[in-house]
Amino acid sequence: MKPKIGIFGLSGCWGEQIVILNCEDQLLDILGATEIVDFLGGSSVNDEESPLAVAFVEGSVANEREEKQLRRIRERAELLVACGTCACFGGIAAMDADQPRQQIICQVYGSDGPASDWDIRPHRPLADFVKVDVAIPGCPMEKNDFLRATASILNGDIPQLPAYPVCLECKMIENDCLLVSRGLPCAGPVTTAGCGARCPQYNVVCIGCRGPVEECNITSLQKILVEKALRASEIKRKLRTFAAPALDRKEQGGSA
Amino acid sequence: MTRTITIDHLARVEGHGGIKVVLDGDQVSTVQLDVFEGIRLLEGLVRGRSLEDVTGIVSRICAICSHGHSITSLQALEDALEVAVTPQTRKLRDLAYHGANIESHALHVFVLALPDLLGHPSVISLAGVNPDAVAMALRLKKLGNTIQEVIGGRAVHPVNYVIGGFGKVPSTDDLLTLKKELSARLTDCERTLEVLRGIKVPDIVCEPIRCAALVPEDEAFFFGNCIELSDGGANKTIPVREYRTLTNEYLVPHSHAKRSANDHRSYMVGALARLTISGDRIGGMARRAWEELRLTLPATNILMNNIAQAVEMIYSVERALHLVADLLETGIAPESPLPYRVRACHGTAATEVPRGILFYSYELDSEGRVAAADVITPTAQNLNHIEDQMRAAVRQGVEAGVSDLMLEQRLAMIARAYDPCISCSVHLFRS
Repeated sequence: MKPKIGIFGLSGCWGEQIVILNCEDQLLDILGATEIVDFLGGSSVNDEESPLAVAFVEGSVANEREEKQLRRIRERAELLVACGTCACFGGIAAMDADQPRQQIICQVYGSDGPASDWDIRPHRPLADFVKVDVAIPGCPMEKNDFLRATASILNGDIPQLPAYPVCLECKMIENDCLLVSRGLPCAGPVTTAGCGARCPQYNVVCIGCRGPVEECNITSLQKILVEKALRASEIKRKLRTFAAPALDRKEQGGSA
Repeated sequence: MTRTITIDHLARVEGHGGIKVVLDGDQVSTVQLDVFEGIRLLEGLVRGRSLEDVTGIVSRICAICSHGHSITSLQALEDALEVAVTPQTRKLRDLAYHGANIESHALHVFVLALPDLLGHPSVISLAGVNPDAVAMALRLKKLGNTIQEVIGGRAVHPVNYVIGGFGKVPSTDDLLTLKKELSARLTDCERTLEVLRGIKVPDIVCEPIRCAALVPEDEAFFFGNCIELSDGGANKTIPVREYRTLTNEYLVPHSHAKRSANDHRSYMVGALARLTISGDRIGGMARRAWEELRLTLPATNILMNNIAQAVEMIYSVERALHLVADLLETGIAPESPLPYRVRACHGTAATEVPRGILFYSYELDSEGRVAAADVITPTAQNLNHIEDQMRAAVRQGVEAGVSDLMLEQRLAMIARAYDPCISCSVHLFRS
């Protein structure tokens, strides 16, 4: 019997579901090897009850409704795969703001309208609520990471994803270092690899969209950037754009 | 006696939304398109961020339109900083937009909407009976992604677009690869026509469609500085800088999203609106598709937006091929991004992304930080129009004695016809 699969999106940009649909050359093979039974984004008839061999979940948890939905998915799934940076680290909706979110609401939606009593918090990553078996970071996750992970899982293995920084990949392709040679605020030294140093390849600094690599020295990078004449507050916001909740935990001494 | 038709969670659309219709006897009393996408507040979160950082953040508003969000954001910044990009940059951005249009329309027409027209719950079951059509759609979709990857550096959330140009200009070899891919897909465009020719678009609603689209300034179909609003014979023109006089955003008590209305009436944006307003520019195979698929404009059946998307997809393949040939003939120059001077300023831009007009407006402080940002997405503009069309469909369906179950299917089809992108969070709301 083919393994039953579910594909779910919490709050986010739909990026990981698009990446899955972007596997144009492999999609029909995936459909052949699995039974996708619950995929609201792609089907109007879904089995919302039966146990799942694998649940792929993208997006961050914004509210109670999504927290409940996530717990229900966890109950059904043998393996839960967090897809993308929002699911793994909280993503941009968990970013630091220069003012409380309630104040932002008033600015964007007016202070006397229906929005004034909305309860808004920064979004949370999946692991704050349930056990995550496999995490595929990336904003969006790389197609190859998804395919490799899926192939491993279907063959009964636990996927091995890079645990080293973008910086290493960048050095291996012998790019001119944007941080050292040009003094640009590159997040490559502290960001999880797997993208093939995509941004530096285009002469653009890494913005940390894949989240913090497990062993990283953020303090040291901040020091270098201050030496390069960047404001400390600015650097902090830059580095916390995609993974603020994970970095909070690092600061408290836990692992990301 | 009142009764309610509810769709808790709309399938085959990007994002989270539901539909609620209340009927009082034969009278439609309520039609609501609810959006319960988690709030992300991105416009507020970018406040205080540097002008170099903001585009990489707002691209995350939406995956499928990420190239459009990035480039429109950059063009609003360039408008503020008075940076006039080179003709080569304009052409490459135009090319990226055609790539995005091919990808997005191939996905919507074949994967999300076609199952409706052929009576399937999903493309998965459609692939079981018509694998060739699905394989063809996937090849076209991949072509759109390849173009976006070559120009933008990544299919979803591009990395190569910067203020004043590109991090790295694509090489001649890159363009030759695109030329080969594009030429090879022309036969798939013909096959698209064959598949769609056999489909009858059902008449589930008959209602005039008020359209708004950018008027292309030159050959670039998706770029312009003026909006046209079709109003029967009396068309209105609005400069992009005055976009707020088109959208007039407001909040409604029942819902979770800002709404747009002009003269207190809804309007639609998207492929059907573009072809209604600037369709005379369409030639070649796309024109033949238009005729063979019996697209009559102005349309009164909103489901024809799917056909308009198919015509535009073919047009985009042809235009992309033309643009690549043109760039190869002129010779691609390794231009660096244009310089700019940071100062307090403000700027606005609009472009046509696959689902319609996208507006961006920024205010920057003297240190180049974002003081204010405004983003209005196509789906936010379409919400009122979707509700109006659903209301008309229910009224007409009830008059014709259509069952509630059938009405429910029709409501979902109408919502899907707009290809709504509910993930476009900024104005869409509440849990």
